[in-house]
Amino acid sequence: MAAGDALASVDHLITQEAVSAYAEASGDFNPIHIDAEFAAGSHFGRRIAHGMMIAATVSELMAGEFGLDWARSGKLKLRFRAPVFPGDQIQTRGTIKKIDELQEGGRRITCTVVTVRNPSDPGEGDSEEVAITAQTSVVVA
Amino acid sequence: MSNFKDMNDNPVDYAALSAGQTVSRQVCLLDDATISAYVAAVDDGSPLAGSEFVTPMAVAALSVRGVVNDLRIPGGTLHLGQEIEFTDAVRVGETITCAAELSQNSLRGASRILVVGLSVTTGNGRTVMTGKSTIAVPA
Repeated sequence: MAAGDALASVDHLITQEAVSAYAEASGDFNPIHIDAEFAAGSHFGRRIAHGMMIAATVSELMAGEFGLDWARSGKLKLRFRAPVFPGDQIQTRGTIKKIDELQEGGRRITCTVVTVRNPSDPGEGDSEEVAITAQTSVVVA
Repeated sequence: MSNFKDMNDNPVDYAALSAGQTVSRQVCLLDDATISAYVAAVDDGSPLAGSEFVTPMAVAALSVRGVVNDLRIPGGTLHLGQEIEFTDAVRVGETITCAAELSQNSLRGASRILVVGLSVTTGNGRTVMTGKSTIAVPA
């Protein structure tokens, strides 16, 4: 593991069913997520996924790479850049930015993570849009 | 469980909230049903999902839920940013207390920007998460 290494990406299709399930599971019933009529009158024009639902993919990526270390020492700082709409395909991907040896033992791994909606493959043009930018870190043995 | 009809019937005067004020405190049992519903909703494929440990973002989501419900966040509110620091793993079956304290309240254009500090502890007083949510409430 070294600076510049890519982390295993996480892909999801965001459906309205999943957004509604997230509202139930999280207790966040903001109508912008679940009420089509209300959302149509918002400046988004339609329902959007919960930010924390999309942010969960950042945690999923980090937990996938670092397991329990992520739950014990993970740090996450993110900005929501654009909404994700039901029907969107999203991809969360990350890169190791730096690795610091800690005096008390172990290493702190700092990563840059981004979530995009409608990801495009290299050479397919640039249709994707950044939904989340994040910096994460985790301490490992 | 709150709903937005109730919230709109009892609006909060956001301009009157001041930094340092505790705006939410909720106790949640992280039982298997609660965590399984969360994992299914986000389709978490990480090794922590389905394990004896709570997938950590579930803790963060529940702490944000306290803010959403106790502050009666209105429709049209935007979640601008989120900071989280996990400090210990939580096992399924543990009970957590989610507390939130307002750290900033300012007007920016047509929005009121609220910055809320989050702290989550377990029943034995172990801090398992701290964080900060930045939201824009329609002014």
